[in-house]
Amino acid sequence: MKIIKYVEIALALIVAVWLLPALYELVFPRTDNSPFVLYSCLDSTFIRFEYDNKDMHYVDFRGQEFTKAETDSLLPLFSFRQLVAEGRLPDSIFGIALTPKLIQQNSFHFKTSPKQLNKTPIGLYTLLESASGRVDLQLPPDVFRLTQEGLEFINCETNSINRAKSLSFSRELTKHGFSFPVQLIWGNASTRKDYDNGYLLTDSNNRLFQLKMVKGTPWVREINCGDTEINRYVQLFTVEPANRALVGLVVSEDSQLYAVRSNGTLAHIDIDAYDPQSMQISIIGDLLHWTITIYTATDSRYYAVDANSFKQVAREIVPDPELPLSRRIEHCLLPIRLRFNSWQTQLIAPNINND
Amino acid sequence: MLNAIFYKEWLKLRLYWGLALLIHIGLVSYLLLSLRSTLHTSGVVETWATMIGRDVLMINTMMYLPLVTGVCIALCQWLPEMQNKRIRLTLHLPIDYTLSIGLMLLCGIAGLSVLFATDAAVMAITQQFWLPRELVTRTWLTCLPWYLGGLIAYSITTWIILEPQWRIRCVNLLIGVPLVALCFLSSQPASYVRMTPWLIALLIVTACLPAYSIYRFKLGKQ
Repeated sequence: MKIIKYVEIALALIVAVWLLPALYELVFPRTDNSPFVLYSCLDSTFIRFEYDNKDMHYVDFRGQEFTKAETDSLLPLFSFRQLVAEGRLPDSIFGIALTPKLIQQNSFHFKTSPKQLNKTPIGLYTLLESASGRVDLQLPPDVFRLTQEGLEFINCETNSINRAKSLSFSRELTKHGFSFPVQLIWGNASTRKDYDNGYLLTDSNNRLFQLKMVKGTPWVREINCGDTEINRYVQLFTVEPANRALVGLVVSEDSQLYAVRSNGTLAHIDIDAYDPQSMQISIIGDLLHWTITIYTATDSRYYAVDANSFKQVAREIVPDPELPLSRRIEHCLLPIRLRFNSWQTQLIAPNINND
Repeated sequence: MLNAIFYKEWLKLRLYWGLALLIHIGLVSYLLLSLRSTLHTSGVVETWATMIGRDVLMINTMMYLPLVTGVCIALCQWLPEMQNKRIRLTLHLPIDYTLSIGLMLLCGIAGLSVLFATDAAVMAITQQFWLPRELVTRTWLTCLPWYLGGLIAYSITTWIILEPQWRIRCVNLLIGVPLVALCFLSSQPASYVRMTPWLIALLIVTACLPAYSIYRFKLGKQ
């Protein structure tokens, strides 16, 4: 019976190291003051949008503060609607004639976090018709799953396998050199977009392919890596920007980020490292540059890269501020902190001191 | 003797088991009918797309039912035993008291397991006609922590009821409620896959706790 008594004490301790930090956090809530940052092509610097619970401040990394109107002028490709309304949109920028349509078409936004990626996959995928001839995208009558030998399409109405379609798509992939089983796959099956880029997928030999459905038939191509040697892909994303210049973004084993261009080639994006399992990324692209923000566990990294060559034009690494007093007190009072939720995953699991 | 214990538990709980089965089958039928209705009204393609794209399984109504059942069965099984300390009769049977209490506990856990397995089986067998196996498995993976929560809630409620001292009962309640809450931290489908082994370990540990309460009862703690 003594053992059970010790078990009771152990359970009480587990509850304490879980609930006391949670209660402490309720009393002293954490604040996330990560500013919104954009690269100004006119000033060749980053501008931070900082909110101090009262007013918005626009500051660059040299400490210079701007008014809202000045910020709009410094970020004409971001604030173009305001500038158009005020009649202040420049006619051209770096020799490129500006129109609201051109700016809008070249705007691009991508954001993801470890929490969005780390979850139990469903294992079913929807492949939209990418050339239906209609303006709106429609849901197909089937979904597909991955098997060791190919793709298996399941008819939704009958809940049965469409063998002809499964064979057709699997054969087309094999014909293009695809070696099953599929290792990684990513697609965006939303119909709320202008067009569909289908799926990016890697095969058992770690080759990257794009798969689409064009007029009900498979359309496959291998992505040309050129001189780039990638041992293994760890994450794929498809994107559908309005200018149709890109198919997706991929991450290699050595944490390098690449863009898959619409011509089927791969281009390295010149940033230090991005690990999708532990870092949050946000990309805001415009006609000239992409502002890439990466949040890690210890710092925030801001990069500006050229929108065409993806060469780096500016970079700022901002270490996270020192822990506030309330957090330091928490760490002293509660040296062991048990959590079951994490900002890095949707999966519930015990984590110790993973703040 | 062992058969007599099982028979006594059956006589005591059969009405409540019947009621629980009725409620569980009723709720599972409601969930299945509402899924069928959604498939008909919204369309199969759209419903599948929502389930896959938005990761929605339409079973959240089920979430707390195993918990409520576990607590209710424990109350129905152990409160009559603690009234006027009738449990003393069981403790004076010519078998080891941990064995007799263990068998009674086993009746509860086994009964609840059968009830929950019936739920899961009815759900899975029916769903497989309308949904692909991946969604059926995902439904099962999502329900599993709720069922484990029901079993843990049963063990912890038993532990609290059998404890002879009110002061310690309150402490047990303070420890027990968060332990049960561990099974209900997220309603996100299949989010407990990594946690399931820990919950099974917790179930085994909490199933041993009533032995200590009854030991204290036998010592004459008041």
